[in-house]
Amino acid sequence: MSGIQVEGLSKTYRRGLAGERVHALVDVSLTIAPGEAFGIIGPNGAGKTTFLGCLLGLLRPDAGRITIDGHAPDDLAIRAVTGYLPERLVLDRWMTGREFLAYHHALAGQPAAGRREEVEGALERVGLGGEAGQRAIRRYSRGMLQRLGLAQAMLGQPRYLFLDEPASGVDPAGVVLFRRLLSELRQKGVTVILNSHQLDQVERVCDRVAFVKAGRVEAIETVAAGAAHARVLRVRAADAAIGTRVTREQLAALAVSAGAALTGIDPPEARFTVADDAGAARLLQTLIGAGVPVAEATPEESRLERLFLDAPTDARTKGSA
Amino acid sequence: MNLTLVTTLWRQRLTSPVRMAILAMLSLMPLLGVAFMPGAGLALLGGAQGLILTLGAGMIGQDLSSGVLQLLFARRLRRPEYVVSRWLGVGAAAAVISLLQLAIACALLAGRGAVPTAQDILMFGGGRVLESFGGAAVLAFFSSLIGGFGDLGIYLLVNLGAGIVQMAGQVKQWLWLARAGAEISAALTPTIDLVRLVTVTPMPWYPIVSYASTVVLCLALAIVVVNRRELSYASG
Repeated sequence: MSGIQVEGLSKTYRRGLAGERVHALVDVSLTIAPGEAFGIIGPNGAGKTTFLGCLLGLLRPDAGRITIDGHAPDDLAIRAVTGYLPERLVLDRWMTGREFLAYHHALAGQPAAGRREEVEGALERVGLGGEAGQRAIRRYSRGMLQRLGLAQAMLGQPRYLFLDEPASGVDPAGVVLFRRLLSELRQKGVTVILNSHQLDQVERVCDRVAFVKAGRVEAIETVAAGAAHARVLRVRAADAAIGTRVTREQLAALAVSAGAALTGIDPPEARFTVADDAGAARLLQTLIGAGVPVAEATPEESRLERLFLDAPTDARTKGSA
Repeated sequence: MNLTLVTTLWRQRLTSPVRMAILAMLSLMPLLGVAFMPGAGLALLGGAQGLILTLGAGMIGQDLSSGVLQLLFARRLRRPEYVVSRWLGVGAAAAVISLLQLAIACALLAGRGAVPTAQDILMFGGGRVLESFGGAAVLAFFSSLIGGFGDLGIYLLVNLGAGIVQMAGQVKQWLWLARAGAEISAALTPTIDLVRLVTVTPMPWYPIVSYASTVVLCLALAIVVVNRRELSYASG
């Protein structure tokens, strides 16, 4: 069976002198299809990194089963097709970036014949070609380390890529680069498992997103491009028109005629619920057509942000994972 | 054995100025003794413990505490292969330096007209090589237990404890206790007295069995400990 299957996964840690049990994962079951980009989001200590650790075979679950392409996650056949970028990236600081990639290329069991070209290619792809690749890792900035980490994870053309907060500490140009690289990998059919707090990135990259809280998967949402999502649009009008020249009733009527709904006004702003991006465009067109001097329109929050914010706040009781 | 891991360990050791300075000191000081007191022969070179400790300290613990192991074990690498490669890397490096030191010592002695016999050289060199791999196995086990350079601390504590036990046995005239202390101390840097092995008949099997069992046991324990380790900062 191809893809990743997780059935009834549970993991506890023992913490403190008394060996108190902390539930990091509780009966997690899900399936990730081959070639899918799957996001994992959740508050700190929700169990996201523990989940990734179990998927990678670095942590032993107390109960449940994980298979990747029908194999155990620590099977060497799976390791050969796996790339991993940990959140707390620690690299061999005495090496140069180039040496580090050559080292991991060898550890990945890749043939020595094409090593130089593949390493150079990987460095170029993450923007560390030339002098940067020759620099000792201890002289790298946080963003450069993340880039090198991603290059390392992509070595050997993995079929499964596990990324734990890949854009952490990366500048905006790096974030765009990461997104482009992930998009390229997806086009090649690589299955991407992305754990990130940057919800907009997750929403842009992933097909589905699991919201993890207190060790449980609270929801799995489809966020693929084109999927219909209701969203809140905040519209600000110039000249303090909303609430004075344009009344609540007029705005409500205009919203209904555009297939949207007015949810409230807080001059000079009004909030509308729209079905999707097309609905938002229709609403704005209607408002402008009716003479409302629209100065700014902002989506109030993404679906994932709402998922985050709407979730009850009684997260796990103890510890963190 | 994974040659990539072995060579990377050597390169990492070579880039550490502190280790290199200590190694230079440990290698050159005995040679000065040999140069100025040729009558004492090869005995002035002493044992290989210093070299093993300098090259081996933190051989697994450093990777453990830095978090590098997470990345390594996500690769196509068996954990026993990692432990064995670490052991071989440290053992081979200590053995090569020991043999180099021996070669220089022989040259110095030859210059003073006190060249040792081929058998002496062979016995001494063989003992040093066995000691290098034996000591590296013990250190690999200690290093698997604790992060950073904690293995050095364990080594020194056990050595100190063994010395106290041995002394207590001698003071109280409890031979069994003194022997226990001596065995613990010897187990820290296992080797075989090759001179005694080839001169005594019948050949004593105890030193061979003791050496082999200590090395195998330490490596097996190190592999078990590393195999059981959970590698994620979430587990810490």
